[in-house]
Amino acid sequence: MNTLLQEIKTSLNELNQVILGKEQQVHLALTCVLANGHLLIEDLPGMGKTTLAHALATVLGLDYNRVQFTSDLLPADIIGSSVFDPKSASFSFHKGPIFSSVLLADELNRATPKAQSALLEAMEEGQVSVDGQTHPLPSPFFVIATQNPQSQSGTFPLPESQLDRFMIRISLGYPNQAVERQILQGNKGRAVLDQVANILNPESLLKIQRLVPQVKVTDTLLDYVQRLIAQTRENDLCHLGLSPRGAIALIQSAKCWALLQGRGHVLPEDVQAVFVAVVGHRIVGKKETQGDQLARHVLQSVDTIGEGIGGSTGAGIRA
Amino acid sequence: MFTKGFPQNKNITHSAMLWLIVVQIVVTLPLMFYLPFLLVLVLIFSTVWRIRMIQGRLSQPNNVIKVVMAGLGFAALASSGLPTASLDMMASLLLLGFAYKALEAFQQRDGVVVILTGYILVAVQFLYSQTMLAALYGIFSLTALTSAMIAIQHTKSIAIKPNLKLATAMLLTCLPLMITLFLFAPRFSPLWSFSLPNNHAKTGITNRITPGDIANLSQSDELAFRVTFAGEHPPQNKLYWRGLVLNHFDGSTWTQFPDELLPESIPFRLYVNKHDLLSHLTRKGYAQQYEIIYEKSAQPWLFALSPVVNIEGDATYSSDFGIIAKQNLFEPLLLKLTSLPKALREAELPHSVRKLALQLPKTGNKKSQALANRLLQTTSSQQDYIQQVLNLFKEEDYYYTLHPPKLEHENSIDGFLIDSKKGFCAHYAGSFVYMMRLAGIPARVIAGYQGGEWNEKGSYLAVHQYDAHAWTEVWLKDQGWVRLDPTAMVAPERVEKNLQAAVKGEGSFLEKHMLSSAKYQWLSGLRKQLDASQYKWRKLVLGYNENTQSSLIKQLFGEISALKAALISLTIFTIIVVFWLIFLGLTKRRQHEAKEHQLYRLFCKLLEKRGITRQPSQSPTEFSQLAATQLPNLATEINRFSELYTTLCYDPDAKSKTPTYIDDLKQVIKSIRRKK
Repeated sequence: MNTLLQEIKTSLNELNQVILGKEQQVHLALTCVLANGHLLIEDLPGMGKTTLAHALATVLGLDYNRVQFTSDLLPADIIGSSVFDPKSASFSFHKGPIFSSVLLADELNRATPKAQSALLEAMEEGQVSVDGQTHPLPSPFFVIATQNPQSQSGTFPLPESQLDRFMIRISLGYPNQAVERQILQGNKGRAVLDQVANILNPESLLKIQRLVPQVKVTDTLLDYVQRLIAQTRENDLCHLGLSPRGAIALIQSAKCWALLQGRGHVLPEDVQAVFVAVVGHRIVGKKETQGDQLARHVLQSVDTIGEGIGGSTGAGIRA
Repeated sequence: MFTKGFPQNKNITHSAMLWLIVVQIVVTLPLMFYLPFLLVLVLIFSTVWRIRMIQGRLSQPNNVIKVVMAGLGFAALASSGLPTASLDMMASLLLLGFAYKALEAFQQRDGVVVILTGYILVAVQFLYSQTMLAALYGIFSLTALTSAMIAIQHTKSIAIKPNLKLATAMLLTCLPLMITLFLFAPRFSPLWSFSLPNNHAKTGITNRITPGDIANLSQSDELAFRVTFAGEHPPQNKLYWRGLVLNHFDGSTWTQFPDELLPESIPFRLYVNKHDLLSHLTRKGYAQQYEIIYEKSAQPWLFALSPVVNIEGDATYSSDFGIIAKQNLFEPLLLKLTSLPKALREAELPHSVRKLALQLPKTGNKKSQALANRLLQTTSSQQDYIQQVLNLFKEEDYYYTLHPPKLEHENSIDGFLIDSKKGFCAHYAGSFVYMMRLAGIPARVIAGYQGGEWNEKGSYLAVHQYDAHAWTEVWLKDQGWVRLDPTAMVAPERVEKNLQAAVKGEGSFLEKHMLSSAKYQWLSGLRKQLDASQYKWRKLVLGYNENTQSSLIKQLFGEISALKAALISLTIFTIIVVFWLIFLGLTKRRQHEAKEHQLYRLFCKLLEKRGITRQPSQSPTEFSQLAATQLPNLATEINRFSELYTTLCYDPDAKSKTPTYIDDLKQVIKSIRRKK
């Protein structure tokens, strides 16, 4: 177990060499992978989304394919299609880029809903069906999707139901000045992408993933988590609260976060660290309130300590 | 954690602002009818400014404007001519303060001051009007005020409906206590009194009557009093509500006594004790029992069926067989009376009374005197003479009218009796008495009300100002004072039915009140229904006083002793408190948090005393790091406590590993306490 943790630490270091000054996001990205969830990176063009996705795949030692989503992309372009083989006089299935452990879905929201849903179905089921035949996807399989903010032109926003399938959504944001200087000097960041080493391999990754359920959670912590969930549903600013799937994702990611810290049990800090990234894209606020903003507000208003699951009883929420 | 008192700079939310505006309007609206007009302008100005401010079109008034406005307000008060130490002035000042405070309320505590003042203003409103409508409006105002109070406590704007619902629930919760206090709280007479708003009191019959007065009074549809009878109610033509006895005639005006007497002293002169009164009375006939609620009139005169032989309530007997209130009526008065309508009054006429009842002005009215002489020569007895005069009214061309022609001051009797022959009850009564006195028969004018409107729904009689009437009493040997109504000769409908029937041909009933509902028959059902509920309110709520209270308590609990009273009140209050506890859910056992959480909250409290407050979102570790850097001398304890707590709460194996965690936590708390 210690060697595994050591490997994780090394992977984090490696990733931080490529994506500078974004430890939190890198941490979250790795958390997502360890929790066997799909990752959505949302940001403006040129912020390093693809670089992060690329580096992550490399560090994990997994084979990856990259699909650039465009508005004329068809489902068959992702999944693959049956092609007539004149030699055997039969159709044979040509696997599409989705048949890899890591799929980089670049600019996901540039594609039409039809192409998006083909991918998202595969994400949920872990398999694809073509011409009545089911083809299992490799394990581990996960999607790292990037998307531009919805205000950008030429985008098809993902519906709530599909956003819900991404375990974690992160955005990178501008680097700070010191980091930017290093990037401009040109000997760190994207420039060292091809020097990133394979730290993990599929076997060790699966081992780590099997460790996640062993991370322990006490009743006191679950009280806190349930208070948070209740707040997303009952807060006056909230229009759509957190779904049970979202709640499971929250616990899962908190466990992974704890594991990344080398801890065998979850602390409130772990929940707080992943909360906005897990919950922000799943809840919808009233009026103009953004999900992230709302998630931060919920986090602010819920008491971390004490008993009671809150909600309408109000026991855990103190003014 | 709750903070004590009002947090600094806690601003009022937008919805609470709107509530404050509503409260401001609701609370000041009823008082505007009673207070100086200029003040109303100030109030409107402040409300409008406030509304514009909330809309964001005006800024908050600066200090200069505030001073100018306060000056204007005081100027408005000073120019209103209100006496300095009057209720009106105090109410106006309070209202002014309320309006200005409301204008500058931006923080929670200002809002609370405005709302609490609002509650007081609702109470002030009851000093001006105690009608059922006012009470309903009062409840409405209380709901608005409570809703505003709720809105102001919130840090976020909240919807109207749940807010109103909560406010209503809160008020309903108070209802049992309110009823109990109303029914059982001891009622003391006030320790101090204050000049009440007497300029709003209504006037009825006064102690000076010129013939036109009653005709004017009959244009008013104000209520004078309401009567309920024990048993059957007497026929309409027996309902002579006798008020004032007018003895003195100066040629145009009838007054009780010659003008040398100060009018204020007259009531006291008339006071007589029951024993003396009964000694002038020979009991005869049946006794009529009834209950009267008089409306406020600003006068001490009370009206009853004469002679009154028993009074229950705040009034006294007068020497002329009437009753007088002990002070001017500035609020409604309830009396229980017993009268003997057939009793013989003053079989022996005292000299002083005879002198008064024969007084005549020295000059004028020569034609009437000639007429009297002519009649006297043709008649043999007093009865015959009286009959002749009454026949005169019946047989000659006399008219009963609400529009009598103006009479010459000196010869007013001649003007009516000989020349115009058109008059109202006071003309007939006045000239009749004049004619009697010319013949040496003691006679006097009686002012009061005749008849009334029977309300079937409430089984009571309502007597209005338009029922005002004047008739006469003559003194005859062996019969004492006998009531004679010369108006009945001319307009029998006036006595048998009412004024409206008597002046039907003329169409002058309430002609100055275009909209008075009393005029319209089709409205009379609704009007009577409304009046009946008003009457119940008067009688049951406003008329609930010490006497009714003690009789109710006697009825409910029997004879009362101090111990019994204490036990009963204790029981009632216990019931109410238990009801509250159940209703508010306080009986449910409060779930206690596990020991470690209690200790952690104690730990937070200890640190708070040292100036470090934990935000709810701070995790134990985060908080301890912050606290440790700010309180270096406690750093070890803080870190130790936080570590113990975190392990205990979040590490599932901790409890089994170390069973002494709670004691360890307590230990750390102790050492934090020790380090001052």
